[in-house]
Amino acid sequence: MNGNRTSSVLAVGAFAGLLGMVASLFVFGRERFWINWILWFLFVLTTGLGCFFIVALEHLVGARWSVPLRRVPERLASLVLLMAPATLLALLSLPHLYSWTRPESLANPLIAGKAVWLNIPFFAVRAVICVALWLVAYRILVSGSFRQDLAKDPRFTVRARRFAPVFMVIFALTITVLAFDWISSLEPAWYSDIFGVYLFAGSFLAGLAATTLALLHMKSRGRLQQVGPDHLYNLGGFLFAFTVFWSYIAFAQYMLMWYANLPEEVVWYQERLQGMWGPLVLVLALFHFIVPFFILVPRNAKSDPNRLRVVSIVMLLSHWLDLYWMIFPALGVGPLLGWPELAFALAFGCAGLLWLRRAMTRGADMPVGDPFLQEGLAFRL
Amino acid sequence: MSERCFSVLGLFDSAQALVAAIPIVRRGTGALLEAYTPYPVRGIEKALGRRKSPIAGMVMVTGILGALGGLGLELWTSAADYPLVTAGKPPGAWQAFVPIMFEVTVLFAAFTAGLGMLALLNRLPMFRHPMLRSQSMPLITRDRFALAVEAEGQPLDVEKTASLLRAAGASAVEVVGMPAPPGPVSPNAVLTAFAALAMSCAAAGYLTYWAVKLFPVFPPMVHMLDQPRLDPQRASAFFTDGFGMRLPVAGTVARGHLPSLIETPDEAAVLSSPLPRTAAVLQAGREGYRTYCAPCHGVLGDGKPTLTAAYGAKPANLTSQAIRDFPDGRIYHVIAAGRNAMPGYSWELNQDQRWAVVDYVRALQRSQSAMDSDVPEGVK
Repeated sequence: MNGNRTSSVLAVGAFAGLLGMVASLFVFGRERFWINWILWFLFVLTTGLGCFFIVALEHLVGARWSVPLRRVPERLASLVLLMAPATLLALLSLPHLYSWTRPESLANPLIAGKAVWLNIPFFAVRAVICVALWLVAYRILVSGSFRQDLAKDPRFTVRARRFAPVFMVIFALTITVLAFDWISSLEPAWYSDIFGVYLFAGSFLAGLAATTLALLHMKSRGRLQQVGPDHLYNLGGFLFAFTVFWSYIAFAQYMLMWYANLPEEVVWYQERLQGMWGPLVLVLALFHFIVPFFILVPRNAKSDPNRLRVVSIVMLLSHWLDLYWMIFPALGVGPLLGWPELAFALAFGCAGLLWLRRAMTRGADMPVGDPFLQEGLAFRL
Repeated sequence: MSERCFSVLGLFDSAQALVAAIPIVRRGTGALLEAYTPYPVRGIEKALGRRKSPIAGMVMVTGILGALGGLGLELWTSAADYPLVTAGKPPGAWQAFVPIMFEVTVLFAAFTAGLGMLALLNRLPMFRHPMLRSQSMPLITRDRFALAVEAEGQPLDVEKTASLLRAAGASAVEVVGMPAPPGPVSPNAVLTAFAALAMSCAAAGYLTYWAVKLFPVFPPMVHMLDQPRLDPQRASAFFTDGFGMRLPVAGTVARGHLPSLIETPDEAAVLSSPLPRTAAVLQAGREGYRTYCAPCHGVLGDGKPTLTAAYGAKPANLTSQAIRDFPDGRIYHVIAAGRNAMPGYSWELNQDQRWAVVDYVRALQRSQSAMDSDVPEGVK
C-alpha cells in the first residue's frame, strides 16, 4: 500500500515536472529548455555510467569483496538505459545551443580548424555509437549477471572478466566523447585535453555515492544484512580517495591554464569565475572536496552509515553543481535558478526514482549465481 | 610456579576465536595483553581496551602544519623577500603555491606516520623484540592468531596463565623467554653506521655541487649545455647573417604590440591616455603596477624597493615633485622605453596596460600628497 502511494506521488511529480518543462519551452524559449535538458540527462547518465564503471572494475581486477553488493551498482547502471533515448533526443538541441553548428562561427579559425570533428552528422554518429556501445556492454556485463542468478552458470563470470578490459577501453573513449561533445563544445573555441578525465572523476564519485546511498537504504529496510562494516569501509575508502582525485584533476586543469594564460584556454575560466559564478566555485570546492574530505578522514567514518549517507548526498548534489557550473555559463548570463530548473529537477528526479523503484527489485539482492559470492561474504578487513 | 619470561602466548585458529577470547582472558588476569595477527582484524583494539593510537591526530596536525609551512615558504620567498616577476603573474599568486603546499603536506604527514609508527608503536631503538624468538612467529605470519599475556617487568604465573588461555579457546600455548642479551652488533654501532652513511651522502652531494659549479666544461657536466637548440643572443651558422635571434618578418607586428613612432621623451610629452578614467582601468593599472613596477619602485611608488636585495641602481621615487610634474605621455614613454638603468616594458605591458599604469601612478602620487581639504566635510 505504502509503496504504491510512493509510486503514485513520484508519477504525479514526474508528470507535473513534464508540464513545467513544456511550459518553460513556450515561456523562456528553446535555449533554456535545451540547456536544462543537457544538464539533467548528463547528470543522470554520468551517475549511471559511474555505477557501470564500478561493476566493470570488479570484473577487471577480479575483486571478491564487492561481489555481495555488486547487484546495487548493477541495478543503478540501468539509468544508462533510461537515458539512452534522452541522449538521442538531445541531438535536437544542437542548432539551438551549440554555436559551432552556425555557419558564421567558421569565421573563427579556431572553430574552423575543428570542423572535421564538430559537424552535425559526425556528432550524431558519435552519439549513436556511444549509446550502442553502452547497450551492448550492458547486455554482456549486467543482463548476463541477472541471468546467472537462475542459471548458476560460472561461464558468465569468465566472460565478464574477459570483457571487462574491453569495456574499460570503450568506457574511456565514450566518456571522453561525452565530455568533449556535450560539455566542452558548448565553448567550441576552448581546448582542454584533460576534460574527459575530469568528467570521469566526477562520474565515478557520483556512481560511488549513488551505490553507497542505495546500499544504505536497502540495509535500513532490512535487506543485504550480510554486507557488513568491512564492505562499507571499502566503499568509504573509494569515496575518500576519489574526492582527492577529482580535486587533483580539477585543479591541475585550472592551474595549467592559469599559468599559460592562452586566450583560447582561459576564456572558459574567465566566464566561469566572473559575477556570481565566482562564489559558486567556492561552494563547489567546499562541498565537492573540503567537506567530504574532512568528514571521511577518520577511520571510523568510512564504515559509519550515518556519515557515509551524509557524504553520499553531498557528493551527488556537488556532482550536479559541478555540471551546472560547467554547462550553464554557456548561455552567457549569470546563474539561472527559476521554476524551469525546478520543473526539470522534478521531472528527471521523479522519473529516475520511479525507474529505480522498479530496477531495485530486479533479480536477487545479491548475485546468488556468482561463484565468488561466499568468498565475498566472508570478506573481513 | 613462576619463572622469568617475556609473555605467555595462546594460538587461535581464527580471528573470530581470538576476538572472542580477549574478554575472557581480560577477566582472568590483570596483565598487559597484546595480539599478533597476520592481517589487521576489525575491533581488536577495542577488545584489548587500547586507547586510540595518537598517530592519526599527529598526522593531521603535521599535515596542516605542512600546508601552512608550504604556504609560508612560498609567500616569504616569492612575495615578501624577493618578489621576482614570474610569467607576468602578480607576486603572491596563490595558484602557483598549491602544488608546493600539497607536496609539503604529504611529506610532513607521511614522515609523521612512518617515523611515529617506528618510534611510538615499534619502540625504536629496541632492535630485538622478544617475540621474534618465538617458535610460533612463522605461523602467526601465515594463518594463526596469537594473544600474548605479557609479564611487563613482574613475574607471571605461567601455568595459571596457560590454563586461562586454553580455557578461552587457544589451540596451543607457548612461553616466550626473556630477551636475549645484546648480540655482537650493538644498537649504537648501527646508529653510528647510519650517521656515517648520512654524512657521506651529504659530503658526496656537496662535492658534486662544487664539481659541477667549478668545472662545468668537463664531461659529463658539459652534456647539459650541449643541446641542439639556439640560445638567446648567440650566433648561428644556419642564417646567412650569422645572427641567432631573428627580427619579425618585414611589415608585420606582433598582436597587441603596435610599434611606437615616438622616439624621444619630448615627442612623447604631448600624448594623452585614450582610456576613460574608470575604476576598472585603475584596477588594471594597479595589477600591472604591482606585478612589474612595485618590485623596484615600491608598492607606494616611493622608490623603496620591495626587493630586499640591493643591486646598485637607486629606483626613482615616483611620488617626488619631479615626476609629479612629468606629463602623462612622458611617464608612458618611460614605461615603454625605460630610463637610466630601467629597461623598457613594452613587451610585458601593451599600450592600454601602459596607460592604465600611468593612471595608477597618478593615483599613487595623489594619495601620497593628500591634503586636509581632501577629506569630505562629514567625516572630519
